[in-house]
Amino acid sequence: MSAPVLVTGLGWIGPHGVGAGELSAALAAGRPQLAEVDRGGGLHRPAGARLAGLVPADRLAAEVPAALARRMSYPSRLAVAATRAALADAGLVEKEPGFATTAIVMATAYGPVRITEQLLDAILRQGPEQASPSLFTESVASAPASQMALFCRALGPNLTLTQRKAGPLLALAEGARLIARGLADRVLVGAVDELTPLLHALLDRFRFLARPGAAGGEAARPFDRRRAGAIATEGAAVAVLESPAAAAARGARVRARLLGAWGAFDPSAPPLGWGREPARLAAAARRGLARYGLAPDAVDRVVASASGSPGGDRLEAGLLRALFAGGPPPVLAPKGTLGEFGGGLLAAAVLAAGGDASWPTAGFGEPDPDLAVVPHDGAPLRAPRLVLASAVAAAGGAAWAVLSPP
Amino acid sequence: MAAARRPRIAITGIGAVSGYGAGVETLWRGLLSGVSAIREITRFDPGRHRTRSASEVPAEAVPPPPFRGASLAGGVALAALAEALAGAGLPAGFAGREAGVYFGCSTGGTFETERFHEELTGGGGRPRLHWLVSHQTSGPGDAVARACGATGPVTTISSACASATLALGGALDDLATGAVDVAVTGGADALCELTFAGFNSLRAVDPVACRPFRAGREGMTIGEGAAILILEREEDARRRGARPLARLLGAGASCDAHHMTAPDPSGQGIRRAIEATLADAGVPPGRIDFVNAHGTGTPLNDAAEAAALAMVFGERLARLPVTSTKGAIGHFLGSAGAVEAVATVLCLGARLVHPTPGGGEVDPAGPVDLVLGAPRPLPAGAVALSTNFAFGGSNGAVVLAGVAEEEG
Repeated sequence: MSAPVLVTGLGWIGPHGVGAGELSAALAAGRPQLAEVDRGGGLHRPAGARLAGLVPADRLAAEVPAALARRMSYPSRLAVAATRAALADAGLVEKEPGFATTAIVMATAYGPVRITEQLLDAILRQGPEQASPSLFTESVASAPASQMALFCRALGPNLTLTQRKAGPLLALAEGARLIARGLADRVLVGAVDELTPLLHALLDRFRFLARPGAAGGEAARPFDRRRAGAIATEGAAVAVLESPAAAAARGARVRARLLGAWGAFDPSAPPLGWGREPARLAAAARRGLARYGLAPDAVDRVVASASGSPGGDRLEAGLLRALFAGGPPPVLAPKGTLGEFGGGLLAAAVLAAGGDASWPTAGFGEPDPDLAVVPHDGAPLRAPRLVLASAVAAAGGAAWAVLSPP
Repeated sequence: MAAARRPRIAITGIGAVSGYGAGVETLWRGLLSGVSAIREITRFDPGRHRTRSASEVPAEAVPPPPFRGASLAGGVALAALAEALAGAGLPAGFAGREAGVYFGCSTGGTFETERFHEELTGGGGRPRLHWLVSHQTSGPGDAVARACGATGPVTTISSACASATLALGGALDDLATGAVDVAVTGGADALCELTFAGFNSLRAVDPVACRPFRAGREGMTIGEGAAILILEREEDARRRGARPLARLLGAGASCDAHHMTAPDPSGQGIRRAIEATLADAGVPPGRIDFVNAHGTGTPLNDAAEAAALAMVFGERLARLPVTSTKGAIGHFLGSAGAVEAVATVLCLGARLVHPTPGGGEVDPAGPVDLVLGAPRPLPAGAVALSTNFAFGGSNGAVVLAGVAEEEG
């Protein structure tokens, strides 16, 4: 990335509501918004997870009314809802001429789960002739990005990344790359994931989720000694990236400057587990900062991906300790409030860079002496100069982004 | 980074597993033969489906699962990786050089997920979770990164059938900007009933075998396999004594924003992707010596692609060789761009354009100079365009160039 790109809009839909304003309020309040999950499928552990962050149906229906939602999968509707919010926040109107050079880069961890379940059920149990063409079209991971392009007639490159928790920040990197290469002058970058009862049950059986009987109860407790897993969450987030020239041409309000974004991999990680080499990841983070002319001591705010995962938070804490020799600057852990959804991290990082960055860490109460990272308690902080967003994923992926105020 | 300021990016190793079997030599022999690797499906019972043919990786070319829960797609990806690294003369770990993985994948471990779903709904007790270990589309790319010891960025693009082509753009840029020293790029996908039934539900599958660009074509044929390309800055490669097989000159993309499955019939979206790619490569249309087309064999896609090629190349299209690797090994879906890039590298190296299997006359409504029957000769240092397009109108293309013998 040769020059910073500007973040000129932010859209979000999640358990707490719709839009950057409601997201900001939710983070400031530090209150998770949880709902009971249907466990009727019988696949959950008997004493397993019961709660998740689910998007209120009425809020989604208000954002994507039936006529617009026709033939859209649930994640496509989430993505379009976040797109509408992002465009409104950016002062843009869909299908205006600027979308001829607008690209879309979305990340998803699980893709369209509900439709995949329905298709598999139809094909394997009822017979292949029961496969619905409209369901199949929406079963690909890229369907939400395609529906976004149709919604605003975005004619630039259209990419979908599937790199688990690292995906949303890698999407930022890809979006900035498209602008730097001259392939777009505006990019809608984001993430979308849905949560079905079956997916929730599987995450529970793979022991990724907090559960009621754990020491800390069923809550996301980032960096806390009692953490026992994440709270699975669904939603969508979309940020509007623009080249400085494109933003200036329309007099856009700037929320943040994206100085750089990059990824790395820890090959010591097993396919479903966490890497064991935080120092290696810290070195990669340091190299990335250096590529943009920055040093770790210039970072005065971290937005971490910690979600209450015993292994994941340990890896990220080790990374932060290794990266910041004198201890990390204030660490925000928004997944305590928002749950495990990568789009929440991306959106929180944009808000943090804009100065809205003193959130408490929901679920945190007891420091873990093994981690030696204490997330922020909500006390007022002065506006940051440089925000490092950090994402560490199971299976080895990691990504970072550095943002600064406008 | 534009081509004029970009260091030369060399392809120094390639690997592939396809319906012809394991290895790039096997692939090349098959492509030259003009006989497709499309046969009746054995992986599952095709009798339940509307059509029965695909291009499956032969059983003897499917490596044993490297771990419990490994997907078939991940397994063939690792086989292709081993071949590509050996060809490039690079050790796993890359001797301390920073390596990234840029992958395309559409189905991931869906074949294995189907086994899980059968157990889930079959009433035979609790389904086994190991079937899902490699479910996600990032699985094959992650497996490749783990196996080769990559520590740089690892990204899987899952933009349906354009995935691996789009991934090449990221690899090109990260090498050009110095973010990585080695880019391992490619893709892997495995045949599964969901995809097979899904494309059949769209009536997009030819009942026998695909016939790209032919009049009377009825659809695509699904393929499977993996392909890997090792990319380095040419200066670095030559410094360590490696001879480039070909060069990646540029990459570009666009979106039709027209329809979720059908391409824009005008071809304008495809045209914009091709023109962006040529501009990125710094190559005028007149310099392209052949096109390895997306060429699925569906009536709508081939027509839109022919229209786009006509807009880009004008009257010259009548004598510009066009081939479709999909006619030989089927449609690899998300990994199509990878295996077609490998096929293009093989064409450039041998200075021959492989023929496109499939019977019938070229469609007069979308005429292209389709290479039929025998391979077509190429000049030294030829330049090729390779295209791939996806559901939702996501279009990608790359420009590749051969290395003339006198360049060493």
